[in-house]
Amino acid sequence: MTCVELQESLIENDSGGTAAQRAHLRDCPHCAGLVADLLVIACAAGELRAAHEPGPHVWNSIETSLRREGIIKPFARRSLLPSLTGSWSWTGWALPAAAVVLITIGILVRPHAPPPGVVTGGVTSQPASDAALEASVAGLNDNDLLAEVAEQAPALQAQYTENLRNVNDYIRDAKYSLDANPNDEDAHRALMDAYQEKAMLFEMALDRSLP
Amino acid sequence: MGGRLIDVGVCSAVLAVTMTSGIAAAETHKELRFNVAPKAALSVNNPYGSVSIKPTTGNVVVVNAVLSSDKVEVDNNFAGNRVDLQSHLLAGADAQSGRVDYEILVPPDTSLALHSSSGTLRAERIHGDVTLEGAAAMVELRDISGAHVHVKTLNGPVTLTNVQSGYVEVDSLSGNVTLNGVNGPVVQVISTSGGINYLGDFGDHGEYRLTSHSGNIEAIVPDSTSADVSARSVRGEVHDDIPLQPKQHTSFVVKEGSAFWGTMGRAAVSSTVVLRSFNGKIHLRKRSAK
Repeated sequence: MTCVELQESLIENDSGGTAAQRAHLRDCPHCAGLVADLLVIACAAGELRAAHEPGPHVWNSIETSLRREGIIKPFARRSLLPSLTGSWSWTGWALPAAAVVLITIGILVRPHAPPPGVVTGGVTSQPASDAALEASVAGLNDNDLLAEVAEQAPALQAQYTENLRNVNDYIRDAKYSLDANPNDEDAHRALMDAYQEKAMLFEMALDRSLP
Repeated sequence: MGGRLIDVGVCSAVLAVTMTSGIAAAETHKELRFNVAPKAALSVNNPYGSVSIKPTTGNVVVVNAVLSSDKVEVDNNFAGNRVDLQSHLLAGADAQSGRVDYEILVPPDTSLALHSSSGTLRAERIHGDVTLEGAAAMVELRDISGAHVHVKTLNGPVTLTNVQSGYVEVDSLSGNVTLNGVNGPVVQVISTSGGINYLGDFGDHGEYRLTSHSGNIEAIVPDSTSADVSARSVRGEVHDDIPLQPKQHTSFVVKEGSAFWGTMGRAAVSSTVVLRSFNGKIHLRKRSAK
């Protein structure tokens, strides 16, 4: 698979998770970095968009103006779920599936989430539901990372596991901080920094830093 | 008894000589030379072993590589004023047998991209852009000027000494980061659990941002420093041994013991210094006369 083929294939599978993609990513630091960046942008954008989301009245007034100008027209109702008859792409189902999972986990876990001042433990000592939430909010598949490291460099697995736990703590703390202070620039920056650290961890695992 | 000891001693000596000669026989040296134009680029990917870069006069890149066994090769490619070196691990290679140690001389304006998993990455007296990346690799940069410096490590310690007028970005998951005499328009360190130590005067008009989730941050500055310093730790302690002129308007609540924000020295030339942590301690203190 060439770099161009990989980048085209990301349209179908944007996590770089197929065998051919993984094989290419192992040998190509450029594409590995690209995929890591895409993942972190996708994750961080969702978080930050929520914090900056204008109120409904803003969207309503924009929509009203656009309709008045004739720029947008009424459209046919469309299912939120992707078509089963169209060309299949798991990414089409990923969004609603992820939303269902997140909402479910959120309902189960959110009332028990620790306050910002509480230091929480690592992945291994967390309740299963908390660990699942953490994996979801991180948005990146930690198990894939650890499996890749186990395969490529078993000696480094303990280090990666430890660093993964720490960076997930970082992301969680940054999210709590942002939730508590949505207008705090530091909190926004901290969340971006935390995701950047996680992206770097993935990049190193996929990149040629692993022997 | 005495004869048996002698026999054992002789056998040990023979064994030692045999082993030593075996290693010596397996270890090979390789020298490569590339005539380059100004502002060349050098990339080295070395899974096991060190890479050391020093400057030379003339437009030539000289590579001295020590290969620890025949289970590793040095592949090279030279195209478009770019030199690529790759330690190619053959079947059965491990950290010992796959090790290659590079000593490379380059023109000072060469751009560098060095990758290693475990060896030391070292560069000095260069003013081309520098990118160093390694998992457990120790990174040492010294006497760098006017360059973009980008360092990424997993848990390898990072030491930057006398980096002037640099655009410096250091990302480390758990390695400690030490900046000694580092200044420039942009100096940024992000660490998840590693500590950050800054020794220097923060230059003039620069933006310095040192961030660690759980590592401690310490900045030691001389009297002559001019900086607008804000420090904030969510759960750690924040100490300030230097009298600062407090800021009148701050974007966060300055709570005694967990944050401070003020100016030291001449405000007109001061740099902006941001120190942030969630769990780590932050300490700003004055360099002692000694």
